Amino acid sequence: MSASAHATPMVRPRVESASVPNEVQSTTDDAPVNAVNATPKKKEPPPEKPEHIRLRILVISSWWAIIMFLGLPVWWYTTTIYRASLPLDEMRDWADGRVCRPVFPLRISIEADSLQDHESQHLLRTTQHALDDLNDFSAHHLRLQLSPPTNASVSANGISVEGGDEEVALKIRLLPGTETKIDLQAYSPILDVYYTPNQIPSSSSSSSSLATSIANKLRELFAEEQAMIAYLLSTSSAPPERSPKALAPEVTDSLAKWTTRSMKYSRTYHLTFSLFTPTAVPSSWDIEAALEEHMKPLLDSFSSISNFTIDTQVQLYATPGVSGSVLKKADLSGFINAAEWPLSPSIGGAPTVNFIVYVGDMEVEGGGKSWLIPQWGGVVIQSDITDLRPAMLIFSNQLMSLLGAPETGSLPLRLLTLIRVRSAGLLLKASGTMGSLARLSDALRSISIPKSVADGVYTTIEHLNQACEGLGGKEGLENARIAEEAAEKAFFEKSMVGQVYFPDEHKIAVYMPLLGPVGVPLVMGVLKEFKAWRKRRMGGV
Amino acid sequence: MNVERRKVAIFGAAAAVRFLLFTCFPGLPDLLTGRVEISTPVTSFKRLQEGLFLYNHNVSPYDGGVYHQAPILLPLFALLPSSQSWPSMTYLLYILVDILSANALMKIAKSGEGGSSSLYCSPRMGKKWSGYAIAAAFLFNPFTIATCIGRPTSVFTTCAILHAISKAVVGSSFTSMFALSIASYLSMYPVLLFPPLILLCYDRRGPKQQNDSLLSFVSGNVMGVGGFLYSLFHMSYIITGSWEFIESTYGVQLLLPDLTPNVGLWWYFFIEMFDSFRNFFLGVFWLHLSSYVAGLTIRLRRQPLFVIITLLGIFAIFKPYPSISDTSLYLAMLPLYRHVFPLMRYTFLALSTILYATLLGPAFYYLWIYAGSGNANFFYAITLVWSLGLSILVADALFAVLRDEWEVERPEMRGKEIRQI
Repeated sequence: MSASAHATPMVRPRVESASVPNEVQSTTDDAPVNAVNATPKKKEPPPEKPEHIRLRILVISSWWAIIMFLGLPVWWYTTTIYRASLPLDEMRDWADGRVCRPVFPLRISIEADSLQDHESQHLLRTTQHALDDLNDFSAHHLRLQLSPPTNASVSANGISVEGGDEEVALKIRLLPGTETKIDLQAYSPILDVYYTPNQIPSSSSSSSSLATSIANKLRELFAEEQAMIAYLLSTSSAPPERSPKALAPEVTDSLAKWTTRSMKYSRTYHLTFSLFTPTAVPSSWDIEAALEEHMKPLLDSFSSISNFTIDTQVQLYATPGVSGSVLKKADLSGFINAAEWPLSPSIGGAPTVNFIVYVGDMEVEGGGKSWLIPQWGGVVIQSDITDLRPAMLIFSNQLMSLLGAPETGSLPLRLLTLIRVRSAGLLLKASGTMGSLARLSDALRSISIPKSVADGVYTTIEHLNQACEGLGGKEGLENARIAEEAAEKAFFEKSMVGQVYFPDEHKIAVYMPLLGPVGVPLVMGVLKEFKAWRKRRMGGV
Repeated sequence: MNVERRKVAIFGAAAAVRFLLFTCFPGLPDLLTGRVEISTPVTSFKRLQEGLFLYNHNVSPYDGGVYHQAPILLPLFALLPSSQSWPSMTYLLYILVDILSANALMKIAKSGEGGSSSLYCSPRMGKKWSGYAIAAAFLFNPFTIATCIGRPTSVFTTCAILHAISKAVVGSSFTSMFALSIASYLSMYPVLLFPPLILLCYDRRGPKQQNDSLLSFVSGNVMGVGGFLYSLFHMSYIITGSWEFIESTYGVQLLLPDLTPNVGLWWYFFIEMFDSFRNFFLGVFWLHLSSYVAGLTIRLRRQPLFVIITLLGIFAIFKPYPSISDTSLYLAMLPLYRHVFPLMRYTFLALSTILYATLLGPAFYYLWIYAGSGNANFFYAITLVWSLGLSILVADALFAVLRDEWEVERPEMRGKEIRQI
């Protein structure tokens, strides 16, 4: 029996019969004291039996075994935050514009069947030279090319594909004429250039008036688009060296207005045409025919960019938000009686564009009977609705503005510009979102990143690559739209932000009060046991 | 008085009281069935009716997420006439289950395991109650009667646990393990009683198994329990046609999706819990519940019956869905250790706290749910008091048993006040 070996030196003269509770005990370093000592020492208990010690160690270790082998795995399993790995570098590259330069090398083909080959070559060179002199924005430059001399007549509709698979933004037809005249065809992207025979540049001259005037005209045609893209680039997160030279303040202002005015790009828009009348008449309008005649052709030409669904309604006894025969400009925002007029904000997933005809005799201060409400729709006030043509023409114009088309140019050119501008905008936006997501994931190490976010990121990057390749065309627009949608969805994933408001410091506040009372006895038990063991060992030696 | 006649008298009186309550107060069963103190989401008789209805109409009983009880109860209750048209059959079944429980309790008392186990003999063992007194204390305990009238399915678990113990004390480990398997199958948590129960079986094993080592004895019985549970699960699979019941019964106990208030501590805690920590604290709570098993079994190796009793008390406090049925089981078992009552120090405090909570609990629940003048904290506060009272009782009884063991070693300290040194 090793009990005596474990006895501490402090209690060597053990008192076996502890029948007298306040018996004073002598210790080794004290002289034997008598019972009337003024400061009675605390009585020491008899030493523990080894099997009791063993039992206690077993009990303590059973608790610790549960904590180690069950508690820790449970803790690890239930509190680790799932973070899907994101291609952070790639995302940042996109955001910084290192992967893809939104460059639009616009191809302009020159069709000069009436010219000699070397003459047309020379004209092309001098015109390109003149253009390059005028252009100072590398992301957007015009490239001329000769269309192969074909006998086939020029296809009359929009975009003909020539010179490989690349889409041609504009076609210049050089036609001999009696005087110099440059005409933009209204319904196809063709520029007719009439020249007099003496204007054909001689092969020796480095410039010619014809080349200069063509270059000037081209620059004029694409000035607005260039400004738009420059503006988009300057407002995006692209590095400054990529940005074009500073735009003139008034141009920036008008472009800022353009951004606030135009609606978010969508594959489908919903158009609502509403007739509001303050009395019981008119109770019907000939909207269907008017739409068919005036709206349909425009919407059809948009088909490569967006689709449209249309519905109409008539509302009787509708009072506007403001009254009076002359509407102040400040009051226009209150004209729409949002509380009473049944104008639903959105039908289905598509954004709604509202067009309102109000039957009345009002006039906007300073003349005019129609106005546009940014990102919402347009209003026309008309006292007589037998002829809807003027209203429809106004609505067409408003629709173009709301969709973000440029102000100038022929319709086909405006649509082509719209495609390019929209693609660039979506591309930049999706890239920016990727950058934000990368920064978010870096800055908040404690948030979870579910798999859906990683999937969204990969989808975005894949479609961004495709969009970048096909930039300027319809494919590019579609890919950019998918990329932008996926990027937004990934960025606004709900389950990701659940932990944002739960920083690490708060975890201590959760763990401490709940686990502290459990942990303290357990740790103290081990410490006490360890101390006793050391003491026994030292005493035993 | 003849022994058998006393037994019949007690059982008859208990059955009569229950039957009178059932028949004289026809509204009482439904009233008590609706009480959260008696019916929990995993034992409620009402939910059983829902599951039974679906089962009888060939729909999976777990559709709709109302029924969370073991599938084997369904054919049993489907055999009985409907409790709507023939309620007395259901009443008789529950009365019978109570009497079977009392009978098992009587057998445990008769074995004398409480006073003297095979490894330990209490110096106070002479001071004990007879089995009749213990059975009567169980049968006429208001908690037991209320549970019987409220008809939760936890009475079947209680009966199975008591039978497992009563078989263990006579050394028939096979039957005991079978009863434990049924209890575990019905309510899951009784599986934690396996370690002390197997020790009890081992200590009381018959002469045939006298030479078995503890390891081979335990492993044989583990396989027995595994086999019973497997066949019960397979039977359930045949009854319901899918393994869906595992998730709907044990999944509900483990993951606590139903936060209906009860007398326990979990529901309020998990209402308030941050979502991201919910799973972690489910783990913590379950580990807390099960961590007592090893420690107590090691410490009280010589008195495994008391380990079972203490664990039942701990379960009644810290289980996910406790009810007064669990308390009544603990209170039924505690008198087996009548001889340590004199060593308990806080009996009055514990009993008055429990009484206080019993009386105020329904009142606070009423204030919260019906009167609307209180909130969830009212009821939670009273369940805290209830759990506090039970904890004091459990801890005090444990203290008394430890002191009893200690006095065997140090007879000279008998009757002395303890103090911390």
